[in-house]
Amino acid sequence: MRRHWLRTVRWVLAGALLAGLTGAFLDFRGLEPAPLAHWLAAVQFLPSLVALATGASLALAGLVILAATLAGGRAYCSVVCPLGIFQDAVSRVSNWVRRRHPRLPHRPAATWVRQAFLWATVAGIAAGWAGLTLSLLDPYSVFGRIVSGLFRPVVTLINNALVGPANAAGLDAFYRVEPQWAAAGALAVPAVMLLLITGLAAWRGRLYCNTVCPVGTLLGLVARHAALRLEIDESACTKCGDCLRACKAQCIDLRSSAIDFSRCVACYNCVSACDQHGITYRFAWRRSAGKPKSETRLVHRSSASEGGNSKLDSRRRAFLADSGTAVLAVAGVAALLAPRTGRAAAVATPVGGAPGAAGPLPGHEASRGICPPGAAGVDRFLDRCTACQLCISACPTHVLQPAFLEYGFAGVMKPRLEYAVAFCNFDCRRCAEVCPDGALTLLALADKQVTRLGIARLDLEKCVVKSINKDCAACSEHCPTKAVDTIPYGDNLRLPQMHDELCIGCGACQFACPARPTPAITVTGHRRHDRAQKKIEKKAEAPQSSGDFPF
Amino acid sequence: MKSRRDFLKTGVAAGAVLSLARMGRIFAAEPAAAAAPVAPTPGNRPVLVAVRDGSRAAMLDKALASLGGIGAFVQPGQTVLIKPNIGWDAPPDRGANTHPELVGHLTQLCLAAGAKSVSVFDNTCDQWQRTYANSGIEAAVKEAGGHMVNGKDATMYREVAIPRGVALKTAKVHQLVLDSDVFFNVPVLKHHSGALMTAAMKNLMGVVWERDVYHRTDLQQTIADFLTLRKPTLNILDAYHPMVRNGPRGRSVDDCVEKRMLLASTDPVLIDAAAARILGHEPAVVTHIKLAAELQIGEMDVARAEVRRLSLA
Repeated sequence: MRRHWLRTVRWVLAGALLAGLTGAFLDFRGLEPAPLAHWLAAVQFLPSLVALATGASLALAGLVILAATLAGGRAYCSVVCPLGIFQDAVSRVSNWVRRRHPRLPHRPAATWVRQAFLWATVAGIAAGWAGLTLSLLDPYSVFGRIVSGLFRPVVTLINNALVGPANAAGLDAFYRVEPQWAAAGALAVPAVMLLLITGLAAWRGRLYCNTVCPVGTLLGLVARHAALRLEIDESACTKCGDCLRACKAQCIDLRSSAIDFSRCVACYNCVSACDQHGITYRFAWRRSAGKPKSETRLVHRSSASEGGNSKLDSRRRAFLADSGTAVLAVAGVAALLAPRTGRAAAVATPVGGAPGAAGPLPGHEASRGICPPGAAGVDRFLDRCTACQLCISACPTHVLQPAFLEYGFAGVMKPRLEYAVAFCNFDCRRCAEVCPDGALTLLALADKQVTRLGIARLDLEKCVVKSINKDCAACSEHCPTKAVDTIPYGDNLRLPQMHDELCIGCGACQFACPARPTPAITVTGHRRHDRAQKKIEKKAEAPQSSGDFPF
Repeated sequence: MKSRRDFLKTGVAAGAVLSLARMGRIFAAEPAAAAAPVAPTPGNRPVLVAVRDGSRAAMLDKALASLGGIGAFVQPGQTVLIKPNIGWDAPPDRGANTHPELVGHLTQLCLAAGAKSVSVFDNTCDQWQRTYANSGIEAAVKEAGGHMVNGKDATMYREVAIPRGVALKTAKVHQLVLDSDVFFNVPVLKHHSGALMTAAMKNLMGVVWERDVYHRTDLQQTIADFLTLRKPTLNILDAYHPMVRNGPRGRSVDDCVEKRMLLASTDPVLIDAAAARILGHEPAVVTHIKLAAELQIGEMDVARAEVRRLSLA
């Protein structure tokens, strides 16, 4: 079988993209440059639509993808979408394991299922559940969570097993890394999706993409009206079936010599497989008046039993259905882009209350889940984040962990700060650097360092200094803003003291606090982020001393 | 989470039992120059070398020359551990970590003296890769030919008994501290909100795995107790640009003052006592200095030491 150049180009691009994104999600050592991870993720379709709403970079990628699909079909699904490429890899491995390349016969499109998922997606977005809907159905995010949550710890363990032999062989670059396992509740969805997608891909190729995936359905709708479409040249076709064997989408109907271009993922396997050069791109817009050979409606009702008039009717119905779906899709995008006010935001936040007060600062609402700097607040964040978990893979301290129910159902699998594991590094912005869609805005470092995620609350009754009458101050030691400092106490001891106005809720104090069973200082998350004050100090003066040396 | 930690604990404890046989090596392997508690001097007074007004590297050269040269501490073929303070993700000018120039230069000197290997690590407070990189120490050590070792690998720590410890009876200690022939303690002088100050003794908290045990038990006593296990071959204190407030992390360069000093001594208590004076404290006010002197780890009365005051100006 000769390789068609289109197929070769697809292989190279898809391989590079899958390697780059898989690397970013597996990156347990922080080796992949943040801009590369960001760009590979930001060109994904749904994240780029979210980016249109948030104003993040590469916001126009989604429009480019739509235009490319209108020009020549769903190459996106074969070259850019990591979940699609992953399924191709699964099919390939499965064929190799079974030592045969199964011939997948043509199957009619599962039109109603496809439409139901697209409708559900649009309805979800329109109902104000964009964050939850997209986190469940965006194919890029589904892929990211599988690699980040399930594959990354396994790869870390493999790394750790190799450290000994590698170091013995003089390879210093290897070192052990503690594997990061997410909470079981946050891993349930990725685990189920991994089983489902692997199973479907091994069984019937791109069935998931042409049944469940709303991006596949939406792009399929566009592809069916593409300017250039793959078509079968009936004069060359010997009905040998080689193309059927090569097609992972089961969209070639040899009886009618038609390709359902709405389901074709433009992999060009059939183009390569056909020894007769019988499948080629044809410009399809010029003869739109007549019924093109390749046209198989998304609403698949035309059949041989229907007469001439009903054929016309079915085309009209199909056109109406397409238009309806298109309007729906546009409505979905519009709903996604519509500005949302969220909860009323107080302009100035008074800081007050007695020292040792509990709960959030006055004027704030507490949130059990603490969202990362750049999120601006829980409501905005949950609305925008598609739970791809790229930030969780990129976070060098692992303070970012996938949520289970800390944010409620809408926040399952989305990143939250877990101060029992680590704390947010003061000078680090890596989560926002990689975030593809602006769910996390990349703040200037100086702004990030005064962004208040919550407020540390100090319970002196639990504090080691008071309870055992010994020095400690681990909280103050770690505090980057000096919201916790110490005051003289007892017999030459130092007791922690809070300055609420300086606290940004980074969790360093809580992580460091040695008091058990519970820390004496804990952060209460705020539902809406705001700015803390910055401590202003003059240049320090040297202690008094006489002579060259003070001793 | 809990079960994994427990598993590690059990594993390390088991490893500690197995390695008890190797414990003798800690002391047996120490070079002659460090075997005595203090350098031999008239009347056996401990020696403190204090240098000022040079670059960090030049002051180190001067101090070592006064103590008999690097060859008095490092023999050819020996393994060397350098333990700087690499606690915080901060650039060198913030004074939160030992300056990379000093660590890099010492690494170079050790290798030139024929050391088999020079390893550098810290159990950092901030994220370790960022801290190693942004402190400048990783680059300086690698350029000099030394190895940066991961201080966050629990499998590299062994549980050992500390028989003379008052509050700290056992600790999980990094294997490099237990196994290296030569052990240079290279702290930076800083204010500390809990321990009042941090210099030589407090820096060695960074070679134990569970720092929270120190904080939970009795910070000042455990700092002193650890020194009964193994005293460094030599302590070299970076007091060029000490942090005088907001320590030990600090907020900006404004927290530091310029002193342009470097101290060196085999006696960690003596070096800390002198360092306390630089920060304007009487040594006895710093509780862990007082407790260490009570444990007879070293001399806290600078007047009873031989102090060599050198200036490069």
